[in-house]
Amino acid sequence: MNVLTEKLKEVILAVLPITVLVLILNFTITPLESHMLVRFLIGAVLIILGLSIFLFGVDIGVTPVGTLMGSSIAKTNKMWIVILSGLMLGFFISIAEPDLHILAGQVDSVTSGLISKTSIVIVVSVGIAVMVSLGLVRIVYNFPLYKFLTIAYLVIFVLGIFTSSHFLAISFDASGATTGAMTVPFILALALGVSSLKKDSKASEKDSFGLVGIASAGAIISVMAMSIISKSDKITGTLEYNIYESTSIIAPFIHNIPTIAGEVLLALLPLLITFLIFQKISFKLKKKPFRKILKGLLYTFIGLILFLLGVNSGFMEVGTVVGYELASLENKSIVVIVGFILGLVTVLAEPAVYVLTHQIEDVTSGYVKRSVVMVALSIGIGFSVALSVLRILIPKIQLWHYLLPGYIISIIMTYFVPKLFVGIAFDSGGVASGPMTATFILAFAQGAAESIEGANVLVDGFGIISMVALTPLITLQILGLIFKAKSGKGGLEIDAGKSEQTGTS
Amino acid sequence: MQASPNKQEHPSKKELELIYTIVNFGLGSKIIKFAKHNGILGATVFLGKGTIKNRILEFFDLTDIRKEIVIMISEKLIAYDVLEKLNKEFHFNKPNHGIAFSIPVLKLLGARSFSCDETNSSINDINESRGAENRMYNAIFTIVDKGKAESVIETATKAGSTGGTIINARGSGIHETQKLFSMEIEPEKEIVLILAKKEITDAIVSSIRKELQIDEPGNGIIFIQAVNKAYGLY
Repeated sequence: MNVLTEKLKEVILAVLPITVLVLILNFTITPLESHMLVRFLIGAVLIILGLSIFLFGVDIGVTPVGTLMGSSIAKTNKMWIVILSGLMLGFFISIAEPDLHILAGQVDSVTSGLISKTSIVIVVSVGIAVMVSLGLVRIVYNFPLYKFLTIAYLVIFVLGIFTSSHFLAISFDASGATTGAMTVPFILALALGVSSLKKDSKASEKDSFGLVGIASAGAIISVMAMSIISKSDKITGTLEYNIYESTSIIAPFIHNIPTIAGEVLLALLPLLITFLIFQKISFKLKKKPFRKILKGLLYTFIGLILFLLGVNSGFMEVGTVVGYELASLENKSIVVIVGFILGLVTVLAEPAVYVLTHQIEDVTSGYVKRSVVMVALSIGIGFSVALSVLRILIPKIQLWHYLLPGYIISIIMTYFVPKLFVGIAFDSGGVASGPMTATFILAFAQGAAESIEGANVLVDGFGIISMVALTPLITLQILGLIFKAKSGKGGLEIDAGKSEQTGTS
Repeated sequence: MQASPNKQEHPSKKELELIYTIVNFGLGSKIIKFAKHNGILGATVFLGKGTIKNRILEFFDLTDIRKEIVIMISEKLIAYDVLEKLNKEFHFNKPNHGIAFSIPVLKLLGARSFSCDETNSSINDINESRGAENRMYNAIFTIVDKGKAESVIETATKAGSTGGTIINARGSGIHETQKLFSMEIEPEKEIVLILAKKEITDAIVSSIRKELQIDEPGNGIIFIQAVNKAYGLY
């Protein structure tokens, strides 16, 4: 049973900090209603269970499927197969992503139907498909990631000049929205599968990362292009919030089950179908490993439902209330500080973060340890939430005031940072903006916006995910620089006897 | 190709041992830290997967567990001492706490504290002096910084080897002791395993040694272990 307890311990350690933080807030600054608190605690338990099951499922289901697919695509040694499968996989995965549908629905309503939901879902999926395909081609052709990203973000920059500020927020949010809990592990594994065939071990290692980052850029580009083409530069409509008001403890959970189950099933289907197709034509796995992968996919299904149920029914509301209460306090600095801490602890419970950090450990044989990456991510998300809250408090700060310098710095850094970390950093941008952050942090910020005069829930609500996707780029690349500085060999000039003594210094 | 017979005997040669420990993921660095405190100079870790025997877990197909395999070379006496201390510290005698064992090493190159004077000795002599049974093969392990394994294999192939296996690893020698938030950084390595006929071992080793400048500090190590039986080599 060692495995179970280990995983459970790992997950509990991840979910505990945020739970404790909310409990502390409950007993000090922002008392919650008792039914809400109970729901929150039930949510925490569901999240712990769901996350554990989900991660097991990713380990034996999603990741093997991704790596198998990646390597069998690359093994064909035919460029058109790489391009075609990149397009197909990218398209079907993102079109089934629940988060994308939510975002598209919001865009539909804020543009009063000028950009319809269907069109945005299709266009973004095409954008991601093209980028995933290019990203795979890049790995095969050894085109450096930093150059690829420079070009992609130059395109984004040029498009951004013509995009209105509201749409800027929406399009950068799209980058986070489209890389959900199910797609990220799969895309990560896909890149790993393709690059692991490389003979050059260094290239193989660094190219295992970066595909998620490239896919996110595709989402940004396509939403921007849509807004420019359709000439909709104003947000006119209003968003409807369907908050299920109830003092019952169990009701919200039951109420949410069907929708969540449907969404998760939808996200899983393309994976399952492509796996079955590949199994028929290419993998031809034996019965036992085949069944194991199917079991794994079933685990991800169950796990993700439990997890999302916990987040949506237990956490979201608490996030809104805490944000609202804190922002209505006299001392505005508290909400910024709490936002920072909230960011620090929330990202720890993000499912894809586990998958990424484990893959980093596997690929680097443990050289880059999970805990260090987590620390860097945490700090990044902490800053992003604090900065977002600051933006809500001070209307003068525009989103692009953060995004422009942020992305310029991150792109410049890619030229100095060890290339392995460039990939990791740009992947973690998509990884950090998963379901946990997207719901809880967003709810917190929207709650804060509601209580502050002059802040617009709608306008200020957009753009938070884009911050979450931005800051890890910088913090993880800084981590890369630290690793670079620290990995050198000391004492080579001194003779051996001496270096043993000075070795500890 | 016959290796030239050596003139000198090495009766005072230190006997070396290679310690292997296989533990759950995450313990590797702790083992290294502990072993280094007790006289081991460097260690290399690579990842593996273990299986679990448990009916319930087998039903759920949750039988994979990540493992770390730590290898360390030392003089026999130190090695035995460290093994015993490791056993006490990490409770290898209890079930599910990992395993540790050691295998004798014929020769070690690239670590200054051992075997610097034996540049001329050939591996075959060492073998004979030990009176081992008539072996035909040696296992040559080369541990180098990540990215250099390809050139190790290339060099070895030129010297007569028929292939090689690369294992991704991380590790730290005496030159790599940088820290990051009190955590030791263990840079990435590659272990190259080459099985070669006894007669060509010397040629392979000396060409790797020359090509990769193993004798310069910090460029990696080579060690050779005796192989009694080998199949599949042509």
